[in-house]
Amino acid sequence: MAMNEQPSAPTLAEKLQSLPKPVIYGILLVFATIPLFFSVKLPNKCIDASIDFYAQAMKLPDGCKVILCSDWTNSTRGESKGEMEALLKILMRKNIKFVLLSIADTQAPQVAKDTIREVSSAEEAHGGRHYKEFEDYVNLGFFPSGEGTIVSINNNIRSVAQGKKDFPEGSGPKDALQSPVFEGIKSVSDFKMFFLVTASSTNRVVLERLTNCPMMYMVSGVMVPENTSYYASGQIKGLCGGVKGVYDLENLMEVGINNSGPVQITSDKYKGDSIPGWPGKTNTGKGTAYYLALHFTLALLIVAVIVGNVGMYLSKRRAS
Amino acid sequence: MNLFLQVDPKTFWNAPHGSTELYVKLFAAFIIGIGVAVGLTFIPAQLRKWVVRFVTFGAGLFYVLFWIFPRPISRTPTDAPRGAIEGVSFWIADSQPVIMTLTNVIAGFMIGLGIYSLLRVHFAKIAKQQRDWAYSVVLVTSMFLMVVLGYGDFLQRQNPANFGLADEKNWGLINYGKDLLFDGLLQNMDAGMFSIVAFYIMSAAYRAFRARSTEATILLVTALIVMLSLMGVVEFMWSGVIDRISPNNGLVQSLKLSAISGWLKGTIQTPAIRGIDFGVGIGLLAMGLRLWLSLEKTGGEA
Repeated sequence: MAMNEQPSAPTLAEKLQSLPKPVIYGILLVFATIPLFFSVKLPNKCIDASIDFYAQAMKLPDGCKVILCSDWTNSTRGESKGEMEALLKILMRKNIKFVLLSIADTQAPQVAKDTIREVSSAEEAHGGRHYKEFEDYVNLGFFPSGEGTIVSINNNIRSVAQGKKDFPEGSGPKDALQSPVFEGIKSVSDFKMFFLVTASSTNRVVLERLTNCPMMYMVSGVMVPENTSYYASGQIKGLCGGVKGVYDLENLMEVGINNSGPVQITSDKYKGDSIPGWPGKTNTGKGTAYYLALHFTLALLIVAVIVGNVGMYLSKRRAS
Repeated sequence: MNLFLQVDPKTFWNAPHGSTELYVKLFAAFIIGIGVAVGLTFIPAQLRKWVVRFVTFGAGLFYVLFWIFPRPISRTPTDAPRGAIEGVSFWIADSQPVIMTLTNVIAGFMIGLGIYSLLRVHFAKIAKQQRDWAYSVVLVTSMFLMVVLGYGDFLQRQNPANFGLADEKNWGLINYGKDLLFDGLLQNMDAGMFSIVAFYIMSAAYRAFRARSTEATILLVTALIVMLSLMGVVEFMWSGVIDRISPNNGLVQSLKLSAISGWLKGTIQTPAIRGIDFGVGIGLLAMGLRLWLSLEKTGGEA
């Protein structure tokens, strides 16, 4: 009787194509977490988008003013927090004042403020100065209607801050427009750059509406392809994407562009233009911490795809 | 004329921050708003449809005019309009911040509506002790705790007498509570939930990413090249091999991973995404026009 037939043992091809989920998940867990315990400086070739981002940020005049739109929360902290930290280090070391706002998520301003506090403390511990809310940066908070807000920023930025209060710790609410950050600001073109750190669709909201201020984006890895087209067209001046982008920036902060030294990062685009770094400062961060883990997980992904395909090839050959 | 803005000199439409006058005006505006909303429910359905159409068209018309009407160039605050065209132009430019504030307020109300809806559903579930009502208790309790502790922590930190709260040693129960709920739980659960995506991607890639056809094989090889190019070590080693083979031969140099992935991104991926974007853009334009003119029937009538 057919009921009593013993099922034949699975072939190698079948085994390769049907690895149990717990095994895959377990291997991924090990591959993603173990490298986090090791901070290894890996060789790297910075991509043009990251080089442009760093070069344009470094070319901002010391002490100038920029806008920082922080549209990420801890759901993407693996990428976005590293990006934000790298950007804040550059801004703080160049004494650049900034307006902080968010158009994506109600949590975002608090997450950004916590990150600013952390980076400021770390910089202060290494000889930098403390970045004070309201004095060095002013927090406009969250705007539920991103589209209308960005149009207003482009049209009349003072109207966006009008009536808005900043709530620096240890003091009562203060009129945002009274902040030194807004001193001498008449329109958005008085800001030298609009930085957007985002993990949501606000990249398009800003791109479609902001015309009077140059922009640079820091996006999560999956958002790189769609934003590459805006970078290629020159609509955004620089693009930092994912862990790779953060690692690029951390390397650039260490050695600069077109400088002499044992490790060099060169760029034909900035030929004859030596852009300095901050060698010896605490430039490493989340990028360096996570780049090894990115290697391991990408390698595992490639191996998994190859194993599945080898299994499929073997079973096809057996069938024919 | 910026009638609604919080500007100096003070007008009927604004009041000092934290003043009784401001709270009275806010309360009055809230009551009037509720009155209008309730009033709208009493008008006949046919008329209500036209109210919605009128408001939708008016709102859309403003932004259409904002984008296509000639804008004032290098305008200073003391400039006065010369003629009707400039008058309209100035009016549109001045009104936009008011519209922005209104849209932010309306979007804020949507958060309020969400909270109301959430509470209505879960209180009903708890009251009737429906299936999994215990989860509703957890949800409602968490929400109230987060609001109370979060706002309490915020108020304490605003007080100049509590400047020491920057140091954890000076925290009280409220500060620890907020820290536990927001930074300890919510933020980490947020990160934890999204990290699960990695497991799905791995599993899906293993099971579905197969070279079953020519197109799938091309996609597979492209993905592998791009992934390898993101690995600095592989890129570095492969570039070393290429440089050793022929450091000056352009053709051989173009076999570097960064060169291939750069070509793939610049020549294949970016134009394809632009093409898709154009298509989506045209679709959005058509849909926007239909919504603006109230021609879109799907999604329900007012």
